[in-house]
Amino acid sequence: MGRWSLRAAVTIVFVFLLLPVFYVVMSSFSATATLAFPPRAFTLDWYNKIPPQYWESLRLSLYIAIPTAVVSTVLGTGLAIRIARWRGPGRAAFSAFCLSPLMVPPLVIGVAIFQFGIQMWDWFGFNPTGTAYAIIAGHIALALPFVVRAVLAGHAHFDGSLEEAALNLGATPRQVFFKVTMPALMPGITSGAIFALLLSLDDVPVALLVGRGDDQTLPVRILTTLEYSYSPNIMAISAIMIYGSLLLMLLLDRLIGLERLFGFVRS
Amino acid sequence: MTIGADAIEGRTSAFGRLIGRLAGRGRPAGDDSARDPLQLRWGILSLPGVLVLAAIFAVPVAVLASKSFLKDAGRARIAPGFTLDNYIRFFTDWFYFRVLFDTLVLGCVVVTACVILAYPVAYFLARTRSRYRGFFIFLVVAPLLISVVIRNLGWVPMLSTNGFVNWTLLALGVVDQPLRLLNNFTGVAIGLTHSLLPYMILTLIAVIQRIDHTVEEAALNLGATPWQTFSRVILPLSRPGLLGGYLIVLTASISAFTTPALLGGRRVIVLPIYIEQQMRHALQYAWGATAAAILLLTAIILTLASLSRSEEAR
Repeated sequence: MGRWSLRAAVTIVFVFLLLPVFYVVMSSFSATATLAFPPRAFTLDWYNKIPPQYWESLRLSLYIAIPTAVVSTVLGTGLAIRIARWRGPGRAAFSAFCLSPLMVPPLVIGVAIFQFGIQMWDWFGFNPTGTAYAIIAGHIALALPFVVRAVLAGHAHFDGSLEEAALNLGATPRQVFFKVTMPALMPGITSGAIFALLLSLDDVPVALLVGRGDDQTLPVRILTTLEYSYSPNIMAISAIMIYGSLLLMLLLDRLIGLERLFGFVRS
Repeated sequence: MTIGADAIEGRTSAFGRLIGRLAGRGRPAGDDSARDPLQLRWGILSLPGVLVLAAIFAVPVAVLASKSFLKDAGRARIAPGFTLDNYIRFFTDWFYFRVLFDTLVLGCVVVTACVILAYPVAYFLARTRSRYRGFFIFLVVAPLLISVVIRNLGWVPMLSTNGFVNWTLLALGVVDQPLRLLNNFTGVAIGLTHSLLPYMILTLIAVIQRIDHTVEEAALNLGATPWQTFSRVILPLSRPGLLGGYLIVLTASISAFTTPALLGGRRVIVLPIYIEQQMRHALQYAWGATAAAILLLTAIILTLASLSRSEEAR
């Protein structure tokens, strides 16, 4: 590959990667309500005419994503510290248990929770599926292993002698944990929490199988709406989500650096 | 590698060691993190996580597996009694076998497209000394922060009959008639390639960075063309790590539900779509559980294969 052909190939792939995102934003301003290219005129109308049920869905998505992120971050941090400081045999088996949801397709997690709900009706006389709590449970199962991995990756760079130094200077183990260990693990915990939040906002299969038909999260609402009709309103609400993501990205890139933040994802 | 952790992992089963690799990833050599001067009761700290994971994941998956051995008695009703009938039906009827086969074909097409598109970008990002490198990495990672539904949504107007892609192809004279790119296999393959490409690029950057760049320079100095350097030096040296990334993207694309649902318009019946139809519309819960168990087994086999690959790559 010569230098120029490499540059051409790289440019083409970047266009391929970014064009659909750009296209959502462009379509949200297009005055024609059809899918034709090129657009003839531009308008802000679609933003004013976003139906209230989309805002309802966005609210539900956040109502699910925030508890998911909080709970899976707290639990996942505990699990990761346990794995990192495991003494004696069984470490690999324990971490295999904590990371096992990574191997399971999200749709299968959704089906499993759905079936478990029916089983719970037989056992205890109540079935939690159809509520936001069931969706939160499924999203925690999706997000937990990613939090564990993010915190473990951070723990690998942690210098244990800091703890020894603090102990030697007279701090109690509990003080050391909260004043030395936790602050040092914070970058890993933060990237785990952000990943959990994004995973929950992204998910369709679990929310579709476990949730209720009339009270849908935003991604499910977009999917089911698109099944019978296309409307530029969808583009407008999606564009708003993209602006939100962009803001978050710029913030994270300034604070932590995106490459570092998602370094633990690849493997 | 931590000596303690390695010794422990050495004594456990091959399966446990493979999964353990997933956890140990990112541990630099000479790392000391298993040292624990605090000696707090970490078990109690992790107990809530263990209990929650059991309640919302392990037990439900076990229930799912057990229901896959039962039989449906009408809509939304399951009859008791252990039977292998569902599994026998799945693997003896050509239709269901075809669903599984189509799922795997889609995965292979997507992963091959990802490899071809990812190589130049990964090579560029692994070797460049440009001060804009950080910005380019940002462009690769940024789509991952946007919901898959929204990224797929952008393809809907682009791939429609009078959309951007057909407009370009007609304008360039590549085709005379607009192509059908939406609600079929092509659309799903494009959407999946697009959504999984960043993972492949990130994997390949790490792989190529590990190759000593002086080897490349040696090949070029000895008169190899850039293409020969790529095909005879870089490609063979990156093969072990590449196979790891290949299997990860393959697993992700056969597990994917959202993109086949959104860009396939219910006409592309891959395994996840079929399972969702059985659970939500046909209400055949035991049969749906069997199909889900088969998808799960396929994903587990591919994940374990990719872990053993990345083990070899080290």
